[in-house]
Amino acid sequence: MALGSGEENAAGENSWVFYKDRPEWKDITPMEQDDGPAPIVMIAYSKKFKDVYDYLRAIMRKDERSERALELTEDAIDLNPANYSVWHYRRIILKDLKKDLKDEILYCGEIIQEHPKNYQVWHHRRVLVEWTRDNSHELKLTETVLDVDAKNYHAWQHRQWVVREFGLWESELSLIDELLQKDLRNNSAWNHRYFVINHTTGFTDKVLEYEVKHAQDMCGKAPNNESAWNYLRGCLLEKELSSYPGLMQFCERLYEGSIRSPHLLSFMRDIYEDQLEQGCENVEATLYKALVLCEALSMEFDTIRAEYWNYIARRMKSKFAPHDETNNKTAEATGGAGDDPNL
Amino acid sequence: MEMLSSLDVVQGNKDSLIDWIYSHQVLPSELDDDCRRCGFRGSSTIGAKFNPTQVSCEPYIPYDFGHIAQTYTGLLCLILLGDDLSRLQRVALTRGLRAHQLEDGSFKATLHGSENDMRFVYCASCISYILDDWTGVDVDKAADYIYRSQSYDGGIGQGPGLESHGGSTYCAVASLVLMDRLYTTFSSVELDRIRQWCIMRQQNGFQGRPMKPVDTCYSFWVGATLKLLDAFDLIDKVANRSYILSTQDSIVGGFAKWPDYHPDALHAYFGICGLSLMNAEEVKEMHPALNMSTHAVQHLEKIHLSWRSV
Repeated sequence: MALGSGEENAAGENSWVFYKDRPEWKDITPMEQDDGPAPIVMIAYSKKFKDVYDYLRAIMRKDERSERALELTEDAIDLNPANYSVWHYRRIILKDLKKDLKDEILYCGEIIQEHPKNYQVWHHRRVLVEWTRDNSHELKLTETVLDVDAKNYHAWQHRQWVVREFGLWESELSLIDELLQKDLRNNSAWNHRYFVINHTTGFTDKVLEYEVKHAQDMCGKAPNNESAWNYLRGCLLEKELSSYPGLMQFCERLYEGSIRSPHLLSFMRDIYEDQLEQGCENVEATLYKALVLCEALSMEFDTIRAEYWNYIARRMKSKFAPHDETNNKTAEATGGAGDDPNL
Repeated sequence: MEMLSSLDVVQGNKDSLIDWIYSHQVLPSELDDDCRRCGFRGSSTIGAKFNPTQVSCEPYIPYDFGHIAQTYTGLLCLILLGDDLSRLQRVALTRGLRAHQLEDGSFKATLHGSENDMRFVYCASCISYILDDWTGVDVDKAADYIYRSQSYDGGIGQGPGLESHGGSTYCAVASLVLMDRLYTTFSSVELDRIRQWCIMRQQNGFQGRPMKPVDTCYSFWVGATLKLLDAFDLIDKVANRSYILSTQDSIVGGFAKWPDYHPDALHAYFGICGLSLMNAEEVKEMHPALNMSTHAVQHLEKIHLSWRSV
C-alpha cells in the first residue's frame, strides 16, 4: 500500500507532518467542526484526525479539485473509511482531473481487503467498474475476499452485480462447487447457485432433475445441513411435492437409515401436506403420518421449535381432519384435543 | 436508555440534545433543487455552523446533504426526548425522501454516492410514518421491491437474488407493516414461508442466516419480525432469554453479540429490545415496526393528532 505522507517509515520514526505545518497548504485556513456549546457524546479525535479533517472541511467548502485535494482525501479515508462524503468528493476530483482509474481500482482493492465489510468502499468499487467498464479484476477480488470469509455479504453482492452486468456466468457453478466442497453448509454459496441457474438456464425440467439429485446427495451427506434442504425445497417451489418423482422415496431411504434430522422430518411433513392439499385418497392416514412427524419434532428432534410444531399440527388438524372431532388416532398423536386450532 | 426508563440520566441535557439534533437538519437553500438534499446529517463533519433554530441553509454548503438513516435516527431521537417536532420542515424532508427512491423501488441513503438496499426502504418507511406523510415514497414500487426480494428459502434478502438475512427480513416486513401493505403484498403461503424461515433461525438465541453463529441482535431483528407476523409466541422464550443474558458483560455492563465478547452500544440496545419483546421486567414495551417504545409512540400519536387538526 502506498505510504501516505504521514506514516511511520521503515526506521519506525513517525514522519507524519501535520497539514497545518505543510508550506504548500499555507493558503488554506483550517475549519473546525462546530457542535455548539454542549456537544453530545463527543468523539475524542486524535490530533492527526482533527488536523486532516479541519483541512478537508476547508478544501471541500472551496470545492477545490486538485492533486493535493485528492491526496488529502486519501488521508481522510485512511482515518475513517466510512465517511461517505469524502468518498463522493474523491470521485468528483478523480473525474475532474481525468485520473487514470486503473490506479484507483488497485487502491480501492487494497482498502477493501483491509475493510471487507465497509459499504462505502464496495460502492466505490462498483462506481469505478461502472465508469471504466473494466470487469477483469472483479471475480478475482471477490474470490480473494471470500477466501478469508466465505460468507461476506458485500463480496457476494458485488459478485452478483458483476456477473449479471457483464454476463460473466461461465465460471460461477465451478466456484460454487469449490466452495461447497470446502464447506457444504455455506448458505451464501447455495444462494448463489440458485441465482446463477435462475439467470442462465432457468429451472427447466432437465436442469431441475439434476439440481434435485445434487441437493439430495448433499442432504444425504450432511442431513442436518439446513441450506441443502432449503435449496431442495426452493427448487421445487413451482412444483407439487406430492407428485414430483422420487421425493418420498429419497426421504424414506434416509429415514430407514435412522436419520432423524429435523429438516428431513419437516420435508416429509411438507410432502404429506401437499398430498392432502392435492386431495389424496387416504386423508386420515396421511394426516396421521404428518401429525406423528409434528409430534416427533416437537417432543424429540426439534424441541426448540416445540411450540411451532404444535401449532403446525393444530393447523393441519383444523384444515384436514375429518368432521368427526373425536377421532382417537389424531387426538393421541397430537397429545390433546383441547388446543385452540387458531393462533 | 429510554427503553430502560432511564432518560433522567440525560434529562438535564435534554434541550441541548434536541438542539444538537436539529442543528443537523439539512434545510432548503438558495439552490433550486426541489429539496433533494434535505434530511439530517450524521454529524457536523462537513463544517456546517451550529444553529438549531435556522430555517434555511444559506449560503449552500458544497457536499452537504442528508443521509436517510440519520434522518430516521434523528427523528426517532427527537420523539424519545419528547420534542414536539415543530422545528422540522416536513415538506422539505418528504421532497428529499422522494429524490432517494430508485426505479426499482428501493432507496439509496444519500443523494450522491450511495448503495441502495432494504435498509433504506425501512428508513424511508419509518420517516414517512413519523412525518405522517407518504408522498415521499412510491409505495407500490417499494412494496414490489420487497416482494421480489423474497428468496427461494422464504426469507428476504437486501434485494432480489440476494441471500436471505435476518436484518433485511425485518426491514422488509416492518416496512410493509408501516405501509399497511403486508397482507396485500405477500400471499398467506408466502407469509407462512417467512414465518418458518424466521422460526428456523432460533438455535438458542437467533442467527441471522442459516448455518451462521447466533448473535444477540438477531433476537430483535428476527424476534420483532415474528411479532409483526403474529408468530412470536411460537419461539422458545426461555432459551432466547437465557442466550441474551449470557452475553451480558458483568464488569462493564451492556450486551455483546456472543458470550465473553466485548459489549457495544448496538448489541446493548438490541439485547434490551430482544428482552422487551418477551415483556421482561424493567424494560418498556416496544413497537416492533418503529423500533421504539410504545410510550414514545404515544407521544408521536399526540403530535399526529395536533398536525391533523390544523
